[in-house]
Amino acid sequence: MQYNIYLVGVGGQGVISLGQIITNYAVKKGEKVKFFKEVGMAQRGGPAHCEIRIGEIFGSRIPPLSSDLIVVMELAEGLKALEFVKPGGIVILNKKRIYPIDLMTHPEKYPPDKEIALLFKKAKAKIIWIDAAKIALEVGLPIAENIVLLGALSFLSSFDKEFIINLLKKDIPRELDKNIAAFNRGYQAAEGMTV
Amino acid sequence: MKKLLTGNEAVAEGAIESGVEVVTGYPGTPSTEVILTLLPQKEKSGMHIEWSVNEKVAFEIAAGAAWAGKRALVTMKMSGVNVAADSLASIAYSGCTGGLVIFVADDPGANAAMPEEDSRYYAKSMVVPMLDLASQQECLDYLKLAFEISEKIGGPIFLRSTTEISHVASDVEIGKKLKLEKREARLERDIAKYTKAGAAWCMAQHQDVLTRLAEASKISDSYVTESGIKVNEIHFEDDNKYGVIYAGAVEGNFREALKRYNIKLSWLKIGMVHPLPEERIKKFLEKVDKVLVLEELDPLVEAEVMRIAYLLNKKVEILGKFDQTLPITGNYSFKKIKNGLEVLLGVEMESEQDSKILERAKEIEVKRPTSFCIGCPHRGTYFALNKAIKNLKYKKDEIIITGDIGCTILGMNKPFESCWTEVAMGASIGLAQGFKWAGIKKPVIATIGDSTFFHAGIPPLINAVYQKVPLTIIILDNGWTAMTGFEENPGTIHLSKTNNRRVDIIKVCQGCGVEDIHIIDPYQTEQAIDIIMKAIEYPGVSVVVSQRECALQAKRRKIKLTKHKVNMDKCTGCRICLTSLACPAMVFHPKDDQNKAYMEITSACFGCGLCTYTCPEGAIEVTKDAV
Repeated sequence: MQYNIYLVGVGGQGVISLGQIITNYAVKKGEKVKFFKEVGMAQRGGPAHCEIRIGEIFGSRIPPLSSDLIVVMELAEGLKALEFVKPGGIVILNKKRIYPIDLMTHPEKYPPDKEIALLFKKAKAKIIWIDAAKIALEVGLPIAENIVLLGALSFLSSFDKEFIINLLKKDIPRELDKNIAAFNRGYQAAEGMTV
Repeated sequence: MKKLLTGNEAVAEGAIESGVEVVTGYPGTPSTEVILTLLPQKEKSGMHIEWSVNEKVAFEIAAGAAWAGKRALVTMKMSGVNVAADSLASIAYSGCTGGLVIFVADDPGANAAMPEEDSRYYAKSMVVPMLDLASQQECLDYLKLAFEISEKIGGPIFLRSTTEISHVASDVEIGKKLKLEKREARLERDIAKYTKAGAAWCMAQHQDVLTRLAEASKISDSYVTESGIKVNEIHFEDDNKYGVIYAGAVEGNFREALKRYNIKLSWLKIGMVHPLPEERIKKFLEKVDKVLVLEELDPLVEAEVMRIAYLLNKKVEILGKFDQTLPITGNYSFKKIKNGLEVLLGVEMESEQDSKILERAKEIEVKRPTSFCIGCPHRGTYFALNKAIKNLKYKKDEIIITGDIGCTILGMNKPFESCWTEVAMGASIGLAQGFKWAGIKKPVIATIGDSTFFHAGIPPLINAVYQKVPLTIIILDNGWTAMTGFEENPGTIHLSKTNNRRVDIIKVCQGCGVEDIHIIDPYQTEQAIDIIMKAIEYPGVSVVVSQRECALQAKRRKIKLTKHKVNMDKCTGCRICLTSLACPAMVFHPKDDQNKAYMEITSACFGCGLCTYTCPEGAIEVTKDAV
């Protein structure tokens, strides 16, 4: 058995921390894990991505057509994940655009959300749209966008909800209540969308 | 006990288990985290651990400790070996008494944007054995083995990693700490060994280093580590004439492919890439007819396999880079290895993603060039530098600005597009002098960061003073070795829990004989422009030190400035602030049904205040509440 998760976004969104939480969860659950993180330039507004592979695996990187779950934290960055979509696999699309310098003054040149979604559809992915920034704002912690997505992916990956909340209690020192609220709202959002 | 460790963390664990007493290095992606992991344990472990001023110094310190009988580890990225190389060759020929391991991390795929250099050539040219890492477990196991080999042969040894090993976390079986007898530091005076005075000694040392190399091969060839890893291993599949010879990080994807497609073939794993296990390769080639060689970067193993096949006088078909089955550039993804196996076996294994989807994705992809962080002091320096050049009535494309390694090079990107060149640590100052001697009449400016200046910028500065080259050097001093993850350097002000003494860049420049030295604050734009203009006009060597702490570090240390906001009544939506500074805290809102076009400064603002200088309407104001 293998379960492959591909996370992609822009440096500063918490892509790597999200990967770290998932990795810790899987390790604590007694699973074999490999965790690859693209680090280096990400902090400087560059692309950031990480891959978590759970189960009987050898390679540290997800082969093409093999991601069971993809979380696209920034829409255009998600295009890089298309190669790895497993037909029938799930893709969470976060309604978020971060404009690089060239597009800051010309946002109209950014690829339309619809087209990005269409490409994932053509790759035979099941698409779940989430506006994590809006939810994070509603719980009063804008930075918790990645925790909202953690909630959503936990539902979609059938993770042990209570177990992961307990992990958060241990690992998140500040604003715990708001983080847990963010998690729950993300979890419910995914639940609502798949019923 | 198993623990989830990255390759670099496993090397750090191996250092503790091996009883290392001195650890030195210079930060460089992807090698940095070995020392970052060890540093917090400095007190408890009793080790001496340091970020040295550059890799050459780091290596010499480690070698000195090893000559005095202690176990020493030095870490660097592949570019660092170039810096250390001069001392490395000499010390390799002399040998050592205590164990001496050089940990080097290569970067196939250029994740950290540097030349895709293959450090295995250094092992060959310096006659030093090299173990090549194929998994995170090996990071720990091979480091211990490396010390064992180093002490048995009496010479240094390389341990080579790559990004895919160093930056991946995986289950690692933790071992026991070796019980070494306490060693007194002692150096025997032996000038035939520790100096190079005289051809006879040099020739004798050359013979010694060759003997040590052969011994290293003998020890490693059938070595099995504590956790059961064989350094070199042959697997024969009956009735199958196909084989794979591999070394290094390709192992994971290769094994994954074997399992996924249920492939049975013979393989030879090589853990020691210099010297190669020649007898094993012979034995392998005798049984197979068609071989694929898997190794990242240059075809070093492949060339040797061809040589050995030639000596065997047997017709073996060898696939790899020479026949262009696989590329020399880039890291070896699963897809590349799968493609290699398809050529070897003459079958097609599995379809890939529809190429139409990938092509369309490529067409609409958004390029994301790296830029300065919110509040980055370098933004202010390049902004002022460009303005100074403009005020002096020069055109932007006639003033050469040489750039250097680190965050400061981001001045080459939009919106500043200041830097013209990026070569190597400290090279901005040397190159600039070459442009002047070549006859460039207009001013030439070199930009360099603080850590880079300490690392290799001082000798070219002395040269410029000595040769009286009219040159402006801007040292962007943010107090940290920031690009690699905020390590300390001799100029760092807020030395955390260390007793190190700070070295003052201004005094260094004075000591080097620079007579025209200025200090600017990159957040004070007007003043900075004036001073840079004066420095450019100065007829000799002038140095401008732009001092402001890295904003990310300042933020971590809870330094708070007043944030800024846009006065909506005054903002005309002209975007001049954005096009001049490209601050990630700015968001442009185009005109829509309800609102006119306007700028927003988000709560991510650090408060550097540069934008207030750019706004023609004076629409950017300080918020009332300091955050």
